[in-house]
Amino acid sequence: MAGHLNHVVIGASAAGLSAACAILKTTPRARVRVVSEEKDAPYFRPMIPFIISGKKGSSDVKMVGQGPYVQEGFELFTNTRVTRVDAGQKRVITDSGQIVSYDRLLIASGGKPYLPPEIEGVDVEGVYALRTLSQARAAAKRSSNVTHAVMLGGGLLNLKAAFSLLEKGLEVTLVVYSPEILSQLMEPEDAVMIRNALEQAGLKIMTGCSARKIVDGSKGVCSVVLDDNREIACEMVFIGKGVRPCVDFLGDSGIEIDSGVVVDRYTKSSMNDIFAAGDVAVTFDPITGERIVTGLWTNAAEMGTCAGKNMAGCPTAYSGTFGVMNATQVAGLPFVSMGVVHPGNNEHEIHKNISDTSYRKLVFSKDGNYLLGLVMIGDIKNAGLYRFIMREQRNIRFLKEKIIGQSLTSADVMYG
Amino acid sequence: MDQVKEIFLRKNRCMGCHSCELACAVAHSASKNMYEAMGEVPLPKNRVYVEAVSENLPIPVLCRHCEDAPCMHACIAGAIRRMEDHSLFTDADKCIGCWTCVMVCPYGVIGRHLDAQKAYRCDRCPDLEEPACVSACPTKALVYQSVTTFSKDKRRHAAEELSRGEGK
Repeated sequence: MAGHLNHVVIGASAAGLSAACAILKTTPRARVRVVSEEKDAPYFRPMIPFIISGKKGSSDVKMVGQGPYVQEGFELFTNTRVTRVDAGQKRVITDSGQIVSYDRLLIASGGKPYLPPEIEGVDVEGVYALRTLSQARAAAKRSSNVTHAVMLGGGLLNLKAAFSLLEKGLEVTLVVYSPEILSQLMEPEDAVMIRNALEQAGLKIMTGCSARKIVDGSKGVCSVVLDDNREIACEMVFIGKGVRPCVDFLGDSGIEIDSGVVVDRYTKSSMNDIFAAGDVAVTFDPITGERIVTGLWTNAAEMGTCAGKNMAGCPTAYSGTFGVMNATQVAGLPFVSMGVVHPGNNEHEIHKNISDTSYRKLVFSKDGNYLLGLVMIGDIKNAGLYRFIMREQRNIRFLKEKIIGQSLTSADVMYG
Repeated sequence: MDQVKEIFLRKNRCMGCHSCELACAVAHSASKNMYEAMGEVPLPKNRVYVEAVSENLPIPVLCRHCEDAPCMHACIAGAIRRMEDHSLFTDADKCIGCWTCVMVCPYGVIGRHLDAQKAYRCDRCPDLEEPACVSACPTKALVYQSVTTFSKDKRRHAAEELSRGEGK
């Protein structure tokens, strides 16, 4: 009786709630219990930079009842951490010793910030590895009383947080180990336009260097020492070095782990009735075929929905996602980056189109018949269309002229 | 209950006159009047786009209000929701202008309001009897019908073609 299955979901963010909604939409009489270790009710995690700037309050970013998260009927347990999964007995054990049985289990425990072991003093007061709403509230509070923040890492999270701090009037220095910012999302020369805009907006950017030590003063952090021994005075430090899957509680579960939980095309792990989705799951890139772990809300929501359908007995293949995929706007510049954006060798055909206000790089296969990746800055019109043809791995021989000439429309893709 | 209506395209009828685009922009202006709308700041935006596949094949494209809408699931702010009439709605108050919806929309029909930093799309003109683009279409290439009605018309058309083929 699929309708009465007992589902347990570990994690109440994009993947977990999307799955819970999908399960209940497919089988309304199912039991769905969602367990979250955070104290806060589910919230839109990518919105936390707005908590720091003060543009949004905690209640503005709540998930339940908003957007697609309107399905009712799941039970939510916050402030509850799962410490063990007993796949043999089909049950999970929580930090308070509670035993919760399941027919089907979803692991959507997400990621946790990576703290480089070579940096000394990451536990000093005033150091944040921004991930949760409660951390964002703490950072917001501290940022109201200080003047200088140092951001370690040149990724999107840090750039967004940096902007929130600039808006609050802080002096902000971004320390990036890579030769250029956003190195995961584009090549150094692609990022020049964004870097210029960031610097114009007041962000101080130091590339090619890293932090060695965070120094504790009388009121928490007082400076950061770089690997070349330069010292930057500051009262806040943000570590944005990416996230790693939260799998530590799965140690003795028998579930196959390869940095994250390995799943098949139907989001099922190596164990029967255990599924995984979101930042904790290892999925695949449809273009390269490689195993990847992504940390993107959009992917997590999509994969979670897919997992929920599978758990509810409606087999749904997950089409994978690009290892690189993101869109946002920083310093007034919108940009999209997806697919193969670091071609690196001569195995690709590359087209660039650069103007004063926009930058576009297209990466095609060697034979030129497939679009594999792109970076669009300034003008991101129809980005989703390109994502579609990339994901479908469509032969674009007859559309190529329009793709390069920036005149492709969905009418061409549908009827062309 | 009335069946939910959608905007359908009869693509062989479109002659590329762009009347739908104009009517759409006016319907989404402050004044709702074409002459005044042209002077509004910011300029009202159309949410239907007549695209030319080739010189002889113009196609109006607009939000499909997808059942499994990528934009709604992708939105990091919870700004896109499904309305009672099944259409999708972008809440401008919640939209933060991150353009994730633009990145995932396979039809390219989510526009970016650059002054306001908000995404916008077809809302099927909830305050009008039928969407402005449909009313404005001189060849009835765009129709506002339920799936049942639209498919019945298609079947009838197919039946006519068949009988003609058999010389009856």
